[in-house]
Amino acid sequence: MSTALYEVKNISKSYGSVDALNDVSLKIHAGEIIGLVGDNGAGKSTLVKVLSGAHQQSNGTIFLEGVERKWESPHDALVAGVETLYQDSGLAPHLSVSANVFLGRELFSKGIFGKLGFLAKKEMDSAAHANLDKVGIAVPQSNRSVSQLSGGQRQAVAIGRAVSWASKVIILDEPTNHLGARQAGEVLAVIKAAKERGLGVIFISHTLPHVLQVTDRIVVLRLGKVVADAPTSTFDAQSLLGTITGLIENKAE
Amino acid sequence: MATIATRAKSILANQQALLLIVLLVMVAFFTSRNHIFFSNAVFGNIISDWAPIVLIAIGETFVIISGGIDLSVGSTVAISGVVAAFAMRSLTTNGTSPTTTLILGVLVSAGVGFLVGAINAFLITKTNVVPFIATLVTMGAGSGLAIVFTGGGPIGGGPDQAIQLSVPKVGPFSYPGLGIVAVVVALGLFLHKARFGRYTYAIGSNEFAARAAGINTKRHLAKIYILSGILAGLSGYYYYLRLGCGAPTSGLGGELQAIAAVVIGGAALSGGEGRISGTVLGALILTTVTSGLIIINVAANWKQVVVAILIAAAVLLQEARTKGSSSKFLANLFTKKK
Repeated sequence: MSTALYEVKNISKSYGSVDALNDVSLKIHAGEIIGLVGDNGAGKSTLVKVLSGAHQQSNGTIFLEGVERKWESPHDALVAGVETLYQDSGLAPHLSVSANVFLGRELFSKGIFGKLGFLAKKEMDSAAHANLDKVGIAVPQSNRSVSQLSGGQRQAVAIGRAVSWASKVIILDEPTNHLGARQAGEVLAVIKAAKERGLGVIFISHTLPHVLQVTDRIVVLRLGKVVADAPTSTFDAQSLLGTITGLIENKAE
Repeated sequence: MATIATRAKSILANQQALLLIVLLVMVAFFTSRNHIFFSNAVFGNIISDWAPIVLIAIGETFVIISGGIDLSVGSTVAISGVVAAFAMRSLTTNGTSPTTTLILGVLVSAGVGFLVGAINAFLITKTNVVPFIATLVTMGAGSGLAIVFTGGGPIGGGPDQAIQLSVPKVGPFSYPGLGIVAVVVALGLFLHKARFGRYTYAIGSNEFAARAAGINTKRHLAKIYILSGILAGLSGYYYYLRLGCGAPTSGLGGELQAIAAVVIGGAALSGGEGRISGTVLGALILTTVTSGLIIINVAANWKQVVVAILIAAAVLLQEARTKGSSSKFLANLFTKKK
């Protein structure tokens, strides 16, 4: 098989005396959606933080397109093309939709004012609208503040931002949380579209039907360890749940 | 009834319009009690009081929008004014020209402010001390040192031209006052139109999201506390010009006036919210109350009561607005349903 797009090898992470991750390895290929599942405390959020550069692993290595990388901060991962949607906390509610979409990637006005750090607000407003539109997310007005949006709209903006900026890998932590069935369906469609674009998608969710529906492969974490890594077709709802809870001890592949 | 409520709501939703109304009502009230209030002399005095307060309040606006607090600004005013006074006295005794001395004085004041701001920034971003405690430390150290250095008395002996500079020249504004207006306008643009301001709001709104978006939040916070320190240093210099000497009591309680101005101006102490125009008007309201009460012969201590009421009103409005319940809040205010 060709070189993996994104790969972590033997990752461990401990907080003081607590081992949150223990020798975790996983890889993802371009145009592939992997589901990352596990019970509360299994280490999903910690793994997301390591993959996105928010936290640094205690041990182990990270490879992007076969090249070893070290993320000192989320900034490093973003620049390299790894985009992350964090659970519930990805947006600044006081800022507008477009300010959030362009946060950390602002466009400046032309000439001397731009050099002084002045922003091209109108351009960003219309570009934010276009970017979200392109990934299939409709937001009423991009100059409205995020706090005025509904929960579903906020989630859509957060996903739209991540998908529109990602150039290689996108990590989505519980993107369908708090969403109604129709909105969740739209989110899943956005995820599939990202796969079509050749992105590697890591989809973290407690909603197992969603995981079974969109992923190509499922990685199960339990107590900080990978206990299963197998094609989605080898699971059904029952066996997946069993693997997560530890009732079934199958280690696939 | 509904239309009154709707109209009132749109005014209340606009903090700046509301503040302007409060200010005009105050001016009208004080003038009606004593017509002397409506004069260039009084306005000049109000602006002279306003200028040093608005400087520290602008710094405090950046800090509060970022979700922090800076308690050290009042002490920084004192210590920077005092250190600059010592510097200008020795330059004057050494025969340096008044102009050069006054220019070096600005640099020294701003430099002392920078230093205090840098200490705050270090404590907050490197040692992770919460802003309240970090700036409480520098507040105590600053005001203590200002008294230790001076023995408690004013430090004169600088250029005689200093005090002439603080005389109103353009309407109620002195030249340094105009300089402060220029600084306020520039920083207003910086906060509301430039990336620096956007990051400030983003950090106050959701620091985790800001960091996740690739912003170096600690470096940005460090810059904000240094900015606040520099502005306090400039404010100290302004007091020096007004008094013709550096007094360790200048800026006493300035941090509370600055915070009051920012809160009356509509900023939320929880961060992410606030405007320079609100702070400018908030500071103007504070200084107008001070002068007005003196002129209508009300004991100065009433000022604190009036300010307390203004702060309470501002916070209540804030609460109503952020909860999105302003319409309900106003419906209760404007419609009488048994």
